[in-house]
Amino acid sequence: MSEISPKVLDVRPILRSGGEPFQAIMQAVQDLRPGQGLTLLATFRPQPLFRVMEGRGFDHEAREIDGGDWEVLFTPRKETAPVETSVDADRPETWPDPSEHLDLTDLDPPEPMVRILAAAEALEPGEVLFAVLAREPLFLFPELTKRGHQWAGNFDEAGSAYRILVRIGEA
Amino acid sequence: MPGATLSRWTMSYFAAACLMLVAAQGLMVAGYGYPFADRGAPETLVVVHLVAIGWLSLLMAGALLQFVPVLIARPVIGGRFAVPALLLLLGGLGLLLGGFVALSGALDPPFVLLPVGGVMLLAGFGLFAGILVVTLYSARPLPLPARFVATGLAALVGATLIGSAFTVALSGLAEGPLLDRLVADGVALHAALGLGGWLSATAIGVSYRLFSMFLLAPEVERSTSRAALWGASLAVGLVAAAAIFVLSGFFGAELLFAAALLFTLLAVFFYGADVLNIYRGRKRKQAELNIRASFAALGLFALSILFLNVPALRTGDIVAAVVYLFVFGWLTGLGLAQLYKIVAFLTWLEAYGPVLGRAPVPRVQDLVNERHADILFRLYYGAVVVATLSLVAGTNGLFRMAVAGQLFVTLCLIREFIRARRLSIVPAALRAPAGMVRPHLFLPLSAFQGDK
Repeated sequence: MSEISPKVLDVRPILRSGGEPFQAIMQAVQDLRPGQGLTLLATFRPQPLFRVMEGRGFDHEAREIDGGDWEVLFTPRKETAPVETSVDADRPETWPDPSEHLDLTDLDPPEPMVRILAAAEALEPGEVLFAVLAREPLFLFPELTKRGHQWAGNFDEAGSAYRILVRIGEA
Repeated sequence: MPGATLSRWTMSYFAAACLMLVAAQGLMVAGYGYPFADRGAPETLVVVHLVAIGWLSLLMAGALLQFVPVLIARPVIGGRFAVPALLLLLGGLGLLLGGFVALSGALDPPFVLLPVGGVMLLAGFGLFAGILVVTLYSARPLPLPARFVATGLAALVGATLIGSAFTVALSGLAEGPLLDRLVADGVALHAALGLGGWLSATAIGVSYRLFSMFLLAPEVERSTSRAALWGASLAVGLVAAAAIFVLSGFFGAELLFAAALLFTLLAVFFYGADVLNIYRGRKRKQAELNIRASFAALGLFALSILFLNVPALRTGDIVAAVVYLFVFGWLTGLGLAQLYKIVAFLTWLEAYGPVLGRAPVPRVQDLVNERHADILFRLYYGAVVVATLSLVAGTNGLFRMAVAGQLFVTLCLIREFIRARRLSIVPAALRAPAGMVRPHLFLPLSAFQGDK
């Protein structure tokens, strides 16, 4: 898919005439197409705007151009797939760092399932395992739950790899 | 919570389906039904429904109960109704066949068997469709493969309703111009909804997922896939509209039917392009047997739909031969090829799932003998092509021999399925690690670990 080119908004004339460009900027943001970025041209580094745009899901990249003016490119953060978790997986963000990393993207199903379960057997309760797979391991989820492990996983931005964290349960 | 577990009764559906396929082919070898009787003769109806309901529909129903959760990443809702649905379908089919035998005059059971069988089939298919509709509804928005299944379910309802109306008319329970028109002009529509809409649309949907799974290809929703879905759904809609035209005596049902065939051809074209793309994007170098054998089925699918779009081939004995190719080349070929893989995989998961990672276990491939089955599938497709050609040529003796070949392969494959279920090909050292579960042949284990 080709990237949509960012919309360009030059607020330097407004600033130079002593006006307040905030409304024009917000209007431009509202008119962006899904996934489209915004290039803003201003006479100074618009620091306060970065916070506002961050809240709206945009990253920024600012650089000084000729004459002390600034060009800022706001790009929308890619939406990641929602994280799926086992029922008992409370707050996976508080789990310890994984002590085991597995790249299983090139394995035939159901081999990734076998590898993850084998790796889980070797870990101590409370330890965490991280694995990347080519697809969602649907038959693995119930087996992990049955063995008392907790898990959380989702697809990456491109939807081509599934990432899963498994926290080993008390045996 | 997302995830898929083993479907409790899928193996029972599969076992019943395989028996029906043996019975149907056995009857043809024995010279029962077309081409030894008229195309519309009750004997032919026995064979046709044994294949369409007994074999293909039970196979597809069992497969969907297992694979719809894989398509939507959610468990089936109402899985406990799978057994009553199976019993209703088997009972309804038995009565329906009894009714056809009565029509043929061979035996003298009451004609009322037909409508009672029709009602039971309506209830059985209704119950089954209900399980899946509720399950699919819970998972909206549906991914593309699941939307093919939804289209197929709509066609199933249509085919079953028309079929039930036939049973009422044929038994003489009720009569009227409406039913007369439907019996005269509705047979092709009934068959198209059943074999095309229900069995083919669902097969296409599930195969999108299975092909990319087994070929290790990325799953992308292509615009061609959406076009295929639209083509298939429009075709089903047009056939349903044609049925309403026939009922109300409007002129133009034939035109709608021809348009539906054209949309089907387009859908098959886009589907074929997608499968080719999936194949090209694969990470696995060598496709497994189940995929190779499915590709042969796909080729025959395209060929038979192409033939059906030629008006001159839509008449007389030629159309019977084309439908034979469609049913045994495409639907049955694909069914047997996928069954070969699915039985091994489900058995592996059932037997070794509890000990995975704790003890060395065999691979799924160790449950089957692929070299053996490779020869069987070659033989099978060869026999189907010979049987089809002999129908065209009217050489009935050759037809019987070819169907006997198909029957032989079917029996050999069933033997392979049983050997997979019994784990008898698995190397002895790996066969029974402590904690493994020995599966029953076709009934679920009492302490079953899958879905309820």
